[in-house]
This record gives sequence, structure tokens and C-alpha cells, in this order.
Amino acid sequence: MEKKIAVYICTGCGIGDALDVDALSNVALKEYKADICKTDAFLCGKDGVAVIKNDIENEGVNTVVVAGCSSRVNADVFNFGPNVIVERANLREQVIWCHPADDEDTQMLAEDYIRMALVKQKNMNLPEPYQVENLSKTIMVVGGGFTGLTAALESAKAGYRTVLVEKEDKLGGYVGKMYKQVPLKPPFTDLEENCIPGLVKAVEEAGVKVYTSATIAKTAGGPGMFDVTINQNGGTVEERVGAIVLATGARPYDASKLAHLGFGQYENVITQSAFEEMVAAGNMEAGKVAFIQCAGSRDQEHLPYCSAACCVESIKQALYVKEKNPEANVYVYYKDIRSNGQYEHFYKKAQQAGVIFIKGDVTAITESDGQLAIEADDKTMGTTSEADEFDLVVLANGMVPTAAFGEMIEEEAEEEAAAAADEPKVVGPTIIKSNMLNLEYRQGPELPELKYGFPDSHYICFPYETRRTGIYAAGVVRAPMDMLSAMEDAAGAALKAVQCVEATAKGEAVHPRSGDMSFPEFNMNRCTQCKRCTEECPFGAINEDEKANPLPNPTRCRRCGTCMGACPERIISFKNYSVPMIGNMVKAIEVPEELDEKPRILVFACENDAMPALDMAGINRLQYNPWVRIIPVRCLGSLNLVWINDAMAKGFDGVLLMGCKHGDDYQCHFMKGSELAEIRLSKISETLNRLGLESERVRATTVNIMDYDKIPAMLDEFAEELEELGPNPMKDFQ
Amino acid sequence: MEQNNKPVKYDLTFAREIYSLENGSYIKQCMQCGMCAISCATREIMDYSPRQLFNLIKLGKKDEVLQANTMWHCTSCCTCKARCPRGVPLVDVMHDLKKYAIENGYADYPQAAFYKAFWSEVAGRGKVFEGGVTGRYYLIRGLDEVKKAMDMKDVGINMLKHGRLPLLPPKKVKGMGNLKKIIRKAQELQRKEAR
Amino acid sequence: MANKSILVVGGGISGLTAALEAAEVGHEVYIVEKNPYLGGKVTQINQYFPKLCPPNCGLEINFQRIRKNPRINFFTMAEVESISGQEGNFDVTVKLNPRFVNENCTGCGKCTEACPAERANAFNYGLDKTKAVYLPHEFAFPMKYVIDARACKGAECGKCAQVCEYNAIDLNMEPKTINLNVGAIVWATGWDPYDANKLSYYGFGRYDNVITNVMMERMAALNGPTKGKIVRPTDGKEIKSVAFIQCAGSRDENHLKACSSVCCLASLKHATYVREQYPDAEICIYYIDIRARGKYEDFFTKVQEEANITLIKGKAGEVKEDPSTKKLVVIAEDQVAQEVVEKKFDLVVLATGMAPTTAAAKVPAEMAYDEDGFLVSGANTPGIYAAGCVKNPLDVASAVRDATATALKAIQSTVRGQQ
Repeated sequence: MEKKIAVYICTGCGIGDALDVDALSNVALKEYKADICKTDAFLCGKDGVAVIKNDIENEGVNTVVVAGCSSRVNADVFNFGPNVIVERANLREQVIWCHPADDEDTQMLAEDYIRMALVKQKNMNLPEPYQVENLSKTIMVVGGGFTGLTAALESAKAGYRTVLVEKEDKLGGYVGKMYKQVPLKPPFTDLEENCIPGLVKAVEEAGVKVYTSATIAKTAGGPGMFDVTINQNGGTVEERVGAIVLATGARPYDASKLAHLGFGQYENVITQSAFEEMVAAGNMEAGKVAFIQCAGSRDQEHLPYCSAACCVESIKQALYVKEKNPEANVYVYYKDIRSNGQYEHFYKKAQQAGVIFIKGDVTAITESDGQLAIEADDKTMGTTSEADEFDLVVLANGMVPTAAFGEMIEEEAEEEAAAAADEPKVVGPTIIKSNMLNLEYRQGPELPELKYGFPDSHYICFPYETRRTGIYAAGVVRAPMDMLSAMEDAAGAALKAVQCVEATAKGEAVHPRSGDMSFPEFNMNRCTQCKRCTEECPFGAINEDEKANPLPNPTRCRRCGTCMGACPERIISFKNYSVPMIGNMVKAIEVPEELDEKPRILVFACENDAMPALDMAGINRLQYNPWVRIIPVRCLGSLNLVWINDAMAKGFDGVLLMGCKHGDDYQCHFMKGSELAEIRLSKISETLNRLGLESERVRATTVNIMDYDKIPAMLDEFAEELEELGPNPMKDFQ
Repeated sequence: MEQNNKPVKYDLTFAREIYSLENGSYIKQCMQCGMCAISCATREIMDYSPRQLFNLIKLGKKDEVLQANTMWHCTSCCTCKARCPRGVPLVDVMHDLKKYAIENGYADYPQAAFYKAFWSEVAGRGKVFEGGVTGRYYLIRGLDEVKKAMDMKDVGINMLKHGRLPLLPPKKVKGMGNLKKIIRKAQELQRKEAR
Repeated sequence: MANKSILVVGGGISGLTAALEAAEVGHEVYIVEKNPYLGGKVTQINQYFPKLCPPNCGLEINFQRIRKNPRINFFTMAEVESISGQEGNFDVTVKLNPRFVNENCTGCGKCTEACPAERANAFNYGLDKTKAVYLPHEFAFPMKYVIDARACKGAECGKCAQVCEYNAIDLNMEPKTINLNVGAIVWATGWDPYDANKLSYYGFGRYDNVITNVMMERMAALNGPTKGKIVRPTDGKEIKSVAFIQCAGSRDENHLKACSSVCCLASLKHATYVREQYPDAEICIYYIDIRARGKYEDFFTKVQEEANITLIKGKAGEVKEDPSTKKLVVIAEDQVAQEVVEKKFDLVVLATGMAPTTAAAKVPAEMAYDEDGFLVSGANTPGIYAAGCVKNPLDVASAVRDATATALKAIQSTVRGQQ
């Protein structure tokens, strides 16, 4: 595309008063030879926008720089369709609102931002969407229990061909064996008939293709083109599917580890699931029953988490006993009754039925003459207690996700090698070989676990933010939850699966860069098979062949640019985001000579959190150091070290990386972007030192969106420390 | 308050009896929050808060429950009933417990005697004669108590002066027979509902 | 003719999510929001449990998604007036209340400097004031000012209009009504904090040092009335002790019958706010049951280990004020110790629960509600779905999950409508 570039400088909101706009125009027209440069006192107004539109329609302008407010505002106003490149130079929030008016340094800053915007445009192109051949919009659901059946039905009802794979010979899973189920609708007081038979029928009627006694031998490809090999009855079937819902459920916690509660020792101490089957089979005759909550759960020795469903499930089971024999004596020993939300009504219902709830830890279970006795603390009485003559003791033994069973992937060999080389390395997420999806991914065959084996999202705002694009975990395999939550979760995951196939069909990325049509392209001629890109991709998008050549899967890609940052040969680039693009932006910044005593600090800021925080500093009119030049990056994981070289060679006195918090509560939407960047930095510190450049000149910091009040001090302190170091010795050699 | 280390033993027999009282089944709804313990106007002189009493019922501690002063100190102010998050009508439960205690021979508290005296007055006359209630009360409490009554003579004289204590009993209400019928019917209904 | 577009009523985290998820599948979506900004209640939250991360982070991504997606249309200061028709073809009238500031607003803020009138700041639950023309908050999306007609002195003042260089002030703006035709409706109007004035025994409204959990969020927020400093409202002084009273309204047949699900975790989170600012402050939580379900248990464990809190098993029964010191006395039965305890605190925070907005304002269509007023999804009118906290009391992650699920239900309605 032949670019015709126009620059529009808004002088409203005080920009015209604070800056020498003519000088800015000169930068565009004279220095950068823009085809058009116009100023307007109210560019986002109807007339201002009309000027731009007119130039696009009548002057052939296809590349626009809007120099005015932040891209956080007026995105719709300055959107001129898919064929016009628009770049915003933020003269308002990041220049005049946080720097003094009529000031030489402020003016220099504004001019640099115009330069950077123009260079950025020169180095980018409109992305062309990646198109999949033989794209499939079929949704595959793995697991035919309550969640899986629900997900399959929901996806079929939305009009998508759906495939369901179940390893047992019969659909229904854990819930299928239940006598009755907890209420899923108001008034949340009545036991409901088991929904599985109806659900199975509905799934069949909706035309879902069901494979029972089937397991997945292999899942190759990526969204829109997963090629799944299904083993069934000794044979194999191939299915091409677009997206996957993983609903393989959970298993009860191994009760044999609960010997302290008499399990294994006394045959009438049984698990929640055994009780369920006993009642369903009509074999439950007990007249005195105790339910023991948190048998395994909320216990650092067993399951540190709460299994979420057991309280309401035990309330239900207690009601079974009462339903059968209203005169039966039923006790529930609990730590806290967690009948959240409207299940409070269910709790009360059980109390009304005469179920006795005792807040206390069970200290001993003994047996004499076939009857069980329980010793416990009674917390609300402030005493210890005894009860005997129990016919049955039911342990609410919690749940463990099916994804937690299997061998952990051994990365030790590689880690040892790295340790030997004294190289810091980001440790990838744990993957457990649970034999459920058998993904053909370089980074392991299953979804990475988040914690305790649950392959959950790490985000509160985005519970379906998966680390394997197009594969969404739902129900109790994702997190401990009750049936009501699992029902919603099934539909939620089905939505995300449907959304993924639709986005993939359009060549668009899914969350968090939804709609992004760019994707990484590899110039394989120069690849040295170093494996950095394949190792570091947080989404496992890049496989490897035997010779360690990267094999990109663009539909798995989330467009963070981590591969681009990792590549030492700089062979990976996006149409609108590349190593030369940022490198040239760095080079476009004017670095005054040492004698001018105007140091320069380059900031690479994550566009998700750090950039809005910088805007916020402006909105709050917080003033900060005018030597700073800020370049937004998709993720700090996309930071290529050559940019640091570029900056140092250019004469920058320091470089600061502003990324997301890492560690257990990391905030990076691409998992470890900021951490990767820091590790890369640590690797070049030696080189810097060798060049006579103090490694302290380059450093990383973490910023969240609410840290805007700390930004001025953060930048000022860095500037002071750089002043102590003195100017970059390479400054005047460029 | 019971604070020994001996474990208590749960026994639902007693609880079932209490739960079968007219308002007894509401006790089952108690979720042990303790709101009643604080909203009670006479909590400082109660040996068990209503919550604790309900817990003792659950445990099967018949003697502790029926010997407790809790229900006898209830002034029927209704604050606990108004505030109970589980909607337990505590005042009515307390009435039931008092009745049950008397019926089961746990009537040592002076309040119990007073209740009996008051009821006999109403049942026999259709209205209350203060002198009658007082007389009956002391007779139930026994001779020792009559001596104590003399300590109250100043109060009595004062009330007489102010016309608050008639010397002679009032006439019975008209249609005493009908009143008795009404009471009988009410008692029948109560028994029926309690089942 | 069936309509594939979807109306989402409520622009909080549930509504935003439902709208975005449906739009990213490819559907045209309309969001109707009554506030002058999108984001709803979570914009007023300082940090989310359990990560203690700022809600503005996720909102920023969601607003980014809106900016990039032409299929999303939204109306602020808007409310649904009527709904007719059926699944696949609903006619909806929407009233657009006057903002008195038009689309010309650049967010420069000169109007606010000129404005002589003030109003209680509802965003900060009345803990401070703004001018009559104000930006709802600094992250506001859209970033446009708004005029509070009740506080504004009107055209005879007109100072804001005089200083505005962009002709953005229109003091004569009138309400407008628009009509939409959609295939399905998602009702995601969320919740209101339960009115703590109704809990007379806790003294809210009488004692200034008794605040609610939502007020605590504002106080701890950097962009809140105290710039993030947790202090005693009566004198702005540092606190030495704080009590959190759980189930202030929730799990209570006289108030909210359901459990509000989030308050336990919210109070544990508030304990971390306090602990960060006051390493030595005494922090007590009065509770019936601590409901930290699922992996939130980890947060409960962590707060117990790190924040040095005292958990008192027993619902607080009463709060009294010492009029001379303005200190508060919380009276409760400590059930583990088996005694009534009276403890003094500088600050008392009521963990008021979630009342569904539909307890006060019903959907203008035939719908069913539960005993607390929570909206029952899809019972009477197919094609209208409840999402988020208007349906169940939910934490944010669960509300987002629910909204995502509801987006699919709405899409199914548009598919059915086509058949």
C-alpha cells in the first residue's frame, strides 16, 4: 500500500496554548515530509473530523496521525474504517497535562511524540487476516457428565455442530449416579429429580454426535482446525473441530487417606458418593446418620481448598434420610456452613426438617457393636461432645479435578541445563499428563494447571482466559463448584468456544486482543533453531520439528509478541508491530548532546496497565520528569533486547520497563511478559558492563493501573540516579 | 454457665419433645448467630442466653434447660423476636418453655408461682384481682414467703392510697361459662397444633 | 422477521461482559446503562479479592474491547421504559435522560472549574462533594462530563456554558425516547447495597463512625474521598481498631433472606486494606459462618496468617457510641468463649449485603422474582434473561461467568427466532 500520510494537530484542551504548534507542524512537514499537516482547534468535533474525512475521500489520505488526546478517548470518533491506518500522538494526557506549558522541554517532548507516531506509521501495514483451510466450526465437549452434557446441549442450541466424547460407556458422570439433586431454581428449598436422563435425551434430540467408551488419543492443530483422534472400541475416529470444552469433572478425594475419620477401619463410615449410590439403590435403612463436612477439604494435610459443593450436597443427603424416615436422627458436623446465596433457604429447610447442625471438629470416631460413636468439639457450646449409636457416618470428602491425576511433565533436565549455564529462566506452568486431550503441543499434552491441578483462569474479570486458545475448561475440572455454578459454567465455556470459532473464521484474535487481525510471521531463512520462541510462547502456539525449526500455529496465537521479543535473530514480526518499527521509533527520538544537559530516558510501557496509569497521571495533572519518552508495547514479553541496544547507541541515559506485577498474583494477560523481560534484561547486564555502560541504566519496574500517583516519583527517582551515574558515554558517538 | 471439660452427650429425645410444643419447631431453625443474646433486655441476669438454651435443647440437656432462669426472666419485650434473623418467635417459645417447665414439675422459680396464681385468678373470675393474685402467689410459694410479703406492705399501702389496689374483689365477668368454653377450646386447639 | 441483535440492560461488569461476549461472537449489541458511565459497581471497588488487584485494570480491557468493536452500541443515562413482542422480535423503548453535556465534550474540565454549585458525590456514597457539573470519576467511560440537574442552578447561572470552548453544554437538553428492535434481552441491572439505615441496632446514620463495606471501598481507594487513607469519619484521624460486622442485613428474614455470598471475602479483603495502613490496628470480624468457598479458602487462610485478625463467632447484636470520644462499642456473644463481649472500636464497618435492583424496580415485562426480589431467568417471558447479581448474589468472577453463559442463552434466542 502506497501510504499517503496526513498529520492533524488538535490545538484544543489547552494544547495550542501550551505548545508551539507551528514547530510541531514543521516536524511533520519538513522533517518527515508528511503529505498533509493541518491544525484544528476542536479536532474531535464534527468539523474537525469532517476535515480528516474529506482528506481521506478526496486527497487519497490513507494514513492518519491524530496528535491530540490519548487513544483511550475518542477511538470511535477517529475510526475511519479498516482501510485507514490511524495513529495517535498523545499530546494531551502525556504531554501538556503532566508538563509545564510554554516550556522548552515540554515542546521537545511533543515534537518527539510526533516523530515517533510518524515513524511508527511508516513501519507498519494493515494486517491481513490469517485464513484457515477447511475451517471447522464444530464444538467438541470432552466429558459427558452434568457439565459436559449441558455444554453440548447449549452449543447445539446455539446452532453449532457438537461432538461429545465420554470415556465411560454411559453418559451422566457423577451426577448421573445421584438419587436426587440439589435445587437449581427458586425457591431453592426442594430436592429435584435427577436431571441427567432428561439432559441425555435433549442432547440426543439436539443432534449432538456422542462418542461413549471413547478417549482422545491425540489433539493436533489449533482453533478452527483441531484434528482429534478418538479411540473407541478398539478403533479410531477422526474429527476436525473448531474449539473444545473440557468438562471432565472431578473425582472424590481419596477417602483412604481419611483413616483418622475411621474410613477403611469401619465399614459404616462411607463417602458422599457411596451414600448417594446407596440411597439411589434403595439400600439406605439407617435411622441415625452423621455427615462430616470438610473431610479432606480445608485441611492443609489434604485439600487446602474448600470443595464448594459439599455443604449443599450434605444438606441434600441429610434430607434424603429425613425424607425416608422423618424420625431419623441426622447430625451434620461442620466448620462453617457454606450455603451461599439462595442456598441459605436450603440450609433452613434442612433445619426445619430436624437435621441437627453442630459447629465442631470431629476428634475421634469409634465403633462398638456395629454402631459408631463420634467425639467432637462443640464450638457454639464451648465444650466437647459425644454422640453414639450411629448407623452410618458419611464423609463429605471433597473433590479433586480429573486434570490433577497423572505424571507431572519433567522439565528438570532443561532446568538443570539452565542452572548449569547459570542462566535465569522462566519456569513454565505445570502440566500434568492427565491423558484427557493429549494435545500435540510442544509445551505439553494438557491444559496447564493454575493451582491444585485445576486448569483455571488466573483472572477475576476473565474466568475463561485460557492458556490454550480455543480450549475452555468448565465445571469442577476448572474449579471447585456446586451444580448451579457448573450449569452456568458449561454455558459460559460453550459461548467462548463458539466465539473462538467465529473469530478464527474471520482471522481475528480472541481475548484479550480480540479483533486483532495481525499475527506473527517468521522469516525462516534466518532462523537458528534456538528454540526461544517455542519455549517462551505462553500459549503453546509454536510447535517444533525434529530439527528445532519453529512451526507456528497462528490460530493458537494471542498476538502478544512474546516470540518476537524472544527471537535473537529478529525474524518474527507482525504487519503492524515489529522489531524495526519500535527500533526506528527509538531512533527517531532526538537525543540532545551531552553539553545540553538534557538527559533522555526511554520507557517501554505495557499498554494494558502501565499506559492507562500514565494517562491517569496526566488526568490528575501530576507533573513528572520531561526527559522521559514513552513507547507502548503489546506486552513486555515482546521486548526485544535490540531495542535496548538501539537506545544505548542512540545516547539514552537510561531505559525503564514498566510492566505488570509478577509472582503468584501476576497481572500479565500473557502470563509472564514482565518476568520474561526482566530475565532478558539480566542477561544483557554483563554486556552493558563490558561496554562501559552501567547495567543500572536499564531496569524494570512493575506498575498497576492504580499506581499512577507513584509514577512521578518513580520517574524522578530514576532520573536522579541516572544523573549520579552521569551521561551515557556513548551519547555523542551516534 | 457450664464450662467443665466433661463431654456432653447428644440426646435428641428431649429436643423432640420441645420441638413438638406449639412454637417449638421454630427452635430448629436457629442458626446459632446470637442476635437474641444481645437484643434481650434482661440478658445480664439470664444464666443462658436464648441461643445457648436452644443449643442445650439440641444437646438434650433437660435439667439445664428446665432449671434455667432464661424463660422466667423474659419480659416479652419482643426485641429478640423482632430481630431474630431466622424468624424464630422467641417470646412464644419462651411461653411454651415456661408452660412445659411447670407441667413437668420444674416450678421452683417465683415467676412460676406467679404465673399459676395469675392464671387461677383469670380462670376463676374472668378478670384479675390484685389482692387475689398476691394471696394465691404467696400460698403457692409457702409460709416462708408469706413472711417476706410483709416486707412489701409499704408498697401495698401506697397502692391502696392511690386507688391502684382495690380492697374487695371485683365481680366475675358476665358469661363465665362461655369464657370457660372459650378457654377450653383454645387449649384444645393448642394441643392439636402442637402435634 | 427475526432479529439477531441483543439488548443488554445494565452496563456493570455483568452487562458489559454479556454484551462483549455476544458482540465478539458477531451479534449487534445495545447496552442501556442508567449511570452516566459504564462499569457499574465494580468501578467503586478498590481491589478485588483474592488477588487484591484493581478492577480498573479489567474494566480498561473491556472498554478497549468496546472501542474496537463496532457492533457495540451503548447509551448512558438511559433506562428501559417498555418491552413488547416476543423472543426473536422485541420492541423496546428506551428513555435517554438529559446529560446536559453533549458529545462535543472533550473532557478538558474547564466547566467544573467555573461551576459554583456543589452536590453530594454519589460515587463516593456521599463522603465528599463534587461540583454540579462533574466527571463521574477519573476512569469514566465515556470520558464526558455530566450535570446533576438537582444541584445545577440552571440557565441563569450558565457559567459552565460560558467557559466551554466546544459548545458542549446544553442546559436545555430534554429527555428523549428511542425505540430498539432486538431478538433477545439480557437483564443485568445488578444490585444495590442493602440500606443500612434499616439496621437500627447498628447505629448507621446516627453514628458517623459506622460505615458500610461499600463506603470502605471508597475510603481505601486512591481516587476516593480520603485519597485512599482509612480514617475515622468524625475527625479524619487514624484508626487504632476496627470491627467488621458480617451479615448486616443478609441471611436475615427481616431484611435479605439470602446470603450475599461476597461479604465474608470482602471483609477479609478490607482487613488487608487496614493492615497495610495500620500494622498495629486491632481488627475484629464478627461472623456467623465464614463463607470462603472453593479456592477462596486460600485467601481466608492467607488473611488469617498475614493480617492478624480476630474472628469472633457471634453476630454483633448492637453498636453503641460513646458521645464524648465517638468511639463505638460493639456488643456480641462470643460463642467460643461463651460470653457476652463489649469491645471498643474507632471504626465499625457493616458488611451490608446485596439487594437485587429488581427488589425496587421491576422489569417492564412479565417476569418472576424470588422472595428477595431476585429475578428468575426465562420463567415467564422467553427471550429475557437475568444475568449476574440481579439473579443471584455473586462475586465478580462468578458474575462474569454467569454473564458469559447468559450471552449464549441470548444468542440461542436469536437463533430460535430465525427458525
